[in-house]
Amino acid sequence: MARLMVVQQQHKTPLSLLPSSLSDFNGTKLHAQVQFKKRDSQPKGALQVTASSTKKILIMGGTRFIGVFLSRLLVKEGHQVTLFTRGKAPISQQLPGESDADYTDFSSKILHLKGDRKDSDVVKSGLSAEGFDVVYDINGREADEVAPILDALPNLEQYIYCSSAGVYLKSDLLPHFETDAVDPKSRHKGKLETESLLALRGVNWTSLRPVYIYGPLNYNPVEEWFFHRLKAGRPIPIPNSGIQITQLGHVKDLARAFVQVLGNEKASKQVFNISGEKYVTFDGLARACAKAGGFPEPEIIHYNPKEFDFGKKKAFPFRDQHFFASVEKAKSVLGFKPEFDLVEGLADSYILDFGRGTYRKEADFSTDDIILGKSLVLQS
Amino acid sequence: MATLASSSSVLFSSPSNTNYLVPSNSQLSPSQRLSLSSSSHLSSSLSICPSLSFVTLPTRCSRRFVNPACSFSVRASAADKKRVLIVNTNSGGHAVIGFYFAKELLGSGHDVTILTVGDEGSDKMKKPPFNRFSEIVSAGGKTVWGDPAEVGKVVGGAEFDVVLDNNGKDLDTVRPVVDWAKSSGVKHFFFISSAGIYKPTDEPPHVEGDVVKADAGHVGVEKYIAEVFSSWAAFRPQYMIGSGNNKDCEEWFFDRIVRDRPVPIPGSGLQLTNISHVKDLSSMLSLAVEKPEAANGNIFNCVSDRTVTLDGIAKLCAQAAGRPVNVVHYDPKAVGIDAKKAFPFRNMHFYAEPRAAKDILGWQGTTNLPEDLKERFEEYVKIGRDKKDIKFELDDKILDALKVPVAA
Repeated sequence: MARLMVVQQQHKTPLSLLPSSLSDFNGTKLHAQVQFKKRDSQPKGALQVTASSTKKILIMGGTRFIGVFLSRLLVKEGHQVTLFTRGKAPISQQLPGESDADYTDFSSKILHLKGDRKDSDVVKSGLSAEGFDVVYDINGREADEVAPILDALPNLEQYIYCSSAGVYLKSDLLPHFETDAVDPKSRHKGKLETESLLALRGVNWTSLRPVYIYGPLNYNPVEEWFFHRLKAGRPIPIPNSGIQITQLGHVKDLARAFVQVLGNEKASKQVFNISGEKYVTFDGLARACAKAGGFPEPEIIHYNPKEFDFGKKKAFPFRDQHFFASVEKAKSVLGFKPEFDLVEGLADSYILDFGRGTYRKEADFSTDDIILGKSLVLQS
Repeated sequence: MATLASSSSVLFSSPSNTNYLVPSNSQLSPSQRLSLSSSSHLSSSLSICPSLSFVTLPTRCSRRFVNPACSFSVRASAADKKRVLIVNTNSGGHAVIGFYFAKELLGSGHDVTILTVGDEGSDKMKKPPFNRFSEIVSAGGKTVWGDPAEVGKVVGGAEFDVVLDNNGKDLDTVRPVVDWAKSSGVKHFFFISSAGIYKPTDEPPHVEGDVVKADAGHVGVEKYIAEVFSSWAAFRPQYMIGSGNNKDCEEWFFDRIVRDRPVPIPGSGLQLTNISHVKDLSSMLSLAVEKPEAANGNIFNCVSDRTVTLDGIAKLCAQAAGRPVNVVHYDPKAVGIDAKKAFPFRNMHFYAEPRAAKDILGWQGTTNLPEDLKERFEEYVKIGRDKKDIKFELDDKILDALKVPVAA
């Protein structure tokens, strides 16, 4: 039975949700955060992170999502920042909400080193010719791509790696803490192997493990998946009970965390989970996306995924299980404090990206229609 | 200044009780899990006991102390000895909190009186933890009984520095205790509230400061205490396990697992809850007694730092019992069952985290559910409960509706 409804949407602008200081990523408020000014609640024994001396920084990747925000923060801090990319995407693009002046300044300062990181000879020669103080490895997936970087930079001060909370072994007891068992067989084992290699090589490394990252320019259809359906006035199909708990972290908060660990002794050879302070149920996330985008409360349809054959397509963007990690280590050791709560962060993403008509993947409701076409759906 | 030489035997129970297992899914952190107080006035005592180096190893160890009085807290010096009154409920899940707390305080050298509601001779006193109150007495504590509305009279005019109300759920019950405490010069008032007062949310966990149900009895009490006392703290627990418990928790699962009966769990079984070992609650309260300035004016979620699903509890109980488990999910409405009567946990996410305790008191949790449940199962069998004849009327009704066969 067809469940497609045409809903007259009262589309309320979500701008009211956003404190104006957060509506763009530039400006003094952000700078103050990164400078780690005195806060009310100083983490115990935290060092005042003074502005690091100017560093020559290499970012592996940096043109798509995390790096786009991270590189801006680093350039604003006065560091010399180079992006190592194959050159397929422009080295810099003006961000939605970014002023012309800010963009001009950034694009004039950001540097490019062209190469394919899978080509270890190119990596070695390119990097050793330049010599960098710090490497941010934002797009590394495999350990064998890391060795040539380390070989090329024997005086490297710090290797900062974007790992993933996906390395944790599934457990009955949550949240995941940094000390928990990891899964050597997981889809993310390349990340684990990279962390192990870094430890083995004795370099000063720091590894951040995000959960699900969201925010403007997200190329993984996390919030975009919900926004497409909300915009189309379609029901949101959520597998099983809808009470599975997941966790989203805003990309700008993650970028800030990456800056917080730069030159930070307390981050030396440490792993930190980085994500939002609160978790969210699948059903709750649908509602939060609706709120953030000014959409009416969504209709949620629960279904049993076992009853359907979606072929190779993914019917839902999250793993069908509880999955969340504690960020208390980052909070107490680094003074990490997410600026965005969930609805605010989703509003930021909506206002600067999807709400402007931009997105990465075209809407594909084929799996939805399979689900909705059948009469066998679980009551929500 | 306290000397530790003679009391080193109090700090550590016999080493054979310690068990340095490293479960692979352990939620223990390598950081020190001892309640060695960081208060400066106690630090002078630390150097005396040579065995302290033994316990400061950053191992993933769990504390296996049978006697909860033997915590690692250093004995209070004479200047820091506090006179503590615990007003304790005479039944229910929270009853055991006062028992552990009393023993822990006594072990640390404080003066403790525990006032249990009602009569010493009542039937309620035949159940744990009350039938073990001799342990409090032999540790040097006082046990009295009476009506908390007449607390001053019941304690015979004694004076206290700290009062913990582990009894009242509403203002009518707690007000007389608060008023008496204020007028008799009590300095710090602590209250066992409940994490059940948090408003349900799409975004767990419940964190201190989150919205609570305005009409909840405990909320009124918390507000009143904050108005009357200049030094106060409220503790919001969830579920707890530990020897001496007054109300069933894990036993509900053991009863079924040990008899090879299916375990009926309402809903998906993915609902999250929190079960702490009561010694985690006790250690949090003790820290507040040691650091009242830090604790002052704060709400503390009095829970362990891991959550577990309802299915997960069944699984862990089965592992502890060394037996298989057959979980059966059901929709209470469809079966015509009141889930509150049929199942001991809430049929929804009920998940708070102890963030304030960690941040403000430097508290660390030691609950290790897989290990703790093993201990609980050993006791379950020891007291012969596995052989007890139990009726499973509600279970049978559910299983019948689902047409699930029960093993003979």
